[in-house]
Amino acid sequence: MEAIREQVRLPFSVAFEVVMQGIRIRFGRSLVTATGVVLGVAFLMSILSGQVIRQGVSHEAQLRTETKRMFSFLTAEMGPPKDQVIGVLQVGPLNEAEVRLIRTLKERGAKAINWAQLTGQGAAPPEVARLVTGTSVEEVAAEASSLLIMGQGSLPQLDWATLLASSAQATVGATQKQEVAEVAPGVPLVSLARELKPEEIEAQALEQKRSAFRNLWMTIISLVVTFICISNSLLMSVTERFKEIGTMKCLGALSSFVRRLFLIESSLIGLVGAVAGALVGLVFAIIGYGLTFGFPLVLSSLQWGAIAFYFVPCLAAGVGLSVMAALYPASFAARMVPGTALRTNI
Amino acid sequence: MAIDTVKLEALFRKVEEQQAPCIIRAVEVEKVYRMGNEEVRALQGASVDIYKGEYLSIMGPSGSGKTTLFNMIGGLGKPTSGKVYIDQVDIAQLDYNELAWLRCRKVGYIFQTYNLIQVMTCLENVTLPMAFAGMDAEDARDKGIAILQMVGLGDRILHKPGELSGGQQQRCAIARALANSPDIILADEPTANLDTHTGEEIIELLSRLKEELGVTIVSATHDLKMLKRSDRILWIEDGRIVRMAHPSEIDFSVGDFD
Repeated sequence: MEAIREQVRLPFSVAFEVVMQGIRIRFGRSLVTATGVVLGVAFLMSILSGQVIRQGVSHEAQLRTETKRMFSFLTAEMGPPKDQVIGVLQVGPLNEAEVRLIRTLKERGAKAINWAQLTGQGAAPPEVARLVTGTSVEEVAAEASSLLIMGQGSLPQLDWATLLASSAQATVGATQKQEVAEVAPGVPLVSLARELKPEEIEAQALEQKRSAFRNLWMTIISLVVTFICISNSLLMSVTERFKEIGTMKCLGALSSFVRRLFLIESSLIGLVGAVAGALVGLVFAIIGYGLTFGFPLVLSSLQWGAIAFYFVPCLAAGVGLSVMAALYPASFAARMVPGTALRTNI
Repeated sequence: MAIDTVKLEALFRKVEEQQAPCIIRAVEVEKVYRMGNEEVRALQGASVDIYKGEYLSIMGPSGSGKTTLFNMIGGLGKPTSGKVYIDQVDIAQLDYNELAWLRCRKVGYIFQTYNLIQVMTCLENVTLPMAFAGMDAEDARDKGIAILQMVGLGDRILHKPGELSGGQQQRCAIARALANSPDIILADEPTANLDTHTGEEIIELLSRLKEELGVTIVSATHDLKMLKRSDRILWIEDGRIVRMAHPSEIDFSVGDFD
């Protein structure tokens, strides 16, 4: 009589080989399973990236309106910018709308944009630096049709008379609200900034709250759909192999080996499905919103950083749910008396 | 002192009988299943000794506890009460790990539905239990080919089960059962899904293995041809063993087992 000993624990590579072979041969079936994961993750990703796109689009639209308004206020004072010189005095960090305004002025044919910075304000942003001609504060208004005060910051006392003496047309525009009050009296000033009325601010806050709630709700629903989609397809693919698990147990496989097989297989399928699903979801979201808002607007306002950030939860959901949905029935079958697992008919 | 030759002969015979040791012993095995709120007493005190190298057939109507007895003596399940010894080891004392070891090396299983792993070739199916036993891949390959040749599948080693006929699949399953050179082969209605001719070939193969390798074969069956070839036949009814007989004691022509 041979003494009973402990069953051999097989190395990871053996399990991996068995899994790869299984996937290769059952390729069609594995593809169907992976499709479930793809659909689930694609739905989640399209909802998440849709939120990013919607935010980006509304931000972009707001920016465009703001720029357009500032531009039309300015041209109402100084006429069309074609072949004119414009002076810009930077007093603090610029916001996006100001950068856009400078770009628009240049695009509309401004001859030159003189750029001067009050000391201690740092350099002009690179996208602005390409468009402007740097000069000193004293010469910034030379031959200019208008002098714009830009950036968020306080304006020190300046000798406006000297500053504007050599200008073609003494128009001073301020693009942000703070500086307006500080400009010396007697200087013609155009405020390009727009002050929001309290009810507008309130309405904006309310809308923000509503959309945050809507986004959260959509995210929860999409998570539920993803959960059902993935767990359903993985559960199916494992339960139809109960017999195989029973057979393996009869041949002397340890439950841990069976669990490992399904862990490897489900995480592979989950990973492939999740990557494909995230890409598919993103493409669908872009196409969907592109058809609604127009492709140039959607593509120019895409925030790739935020979208890349959402790839992480999508991959985690795809792999995590796949593994959970496969491991539960697999270890259930592995724990069964082998004879019982063999006779299950699904 | 005169030698009593008759007594001496008897002594020798006894030694000869002892040469076939008991490989499986079931003592008062009871098994109770729970199905919802109902208790199903599948086995109610079944005792049987199975000797090394014999060919035992188990008969019984469906629901008689045949499969349960089969599972108990094959180490596929543990009895509720009573003892099952496989090769003198009480399987109730074994943990899951040792049970897996026992299933891997001591027992080979053959099923009515073959239960080959569909995604693997014949050779891979046969070498899988060897891999579980920790055998080197190349040794396993050589041994697998040798076993497949022995069961007459030498030209089908790289075919998948789906590409084989029923008889060939069952041969492959037998080859797999032999993979780790077990002492016992448990066959659960191995010919039930096969036509008469192919079934006969399988029976032929099993008897040959019994002769050549000296394995013990325990088979649940209704197949008259299998019953005729077996050394002993065991009847089970309502979870109890009701009769044990040699095939020569039974008149097969009546057909009451058909």
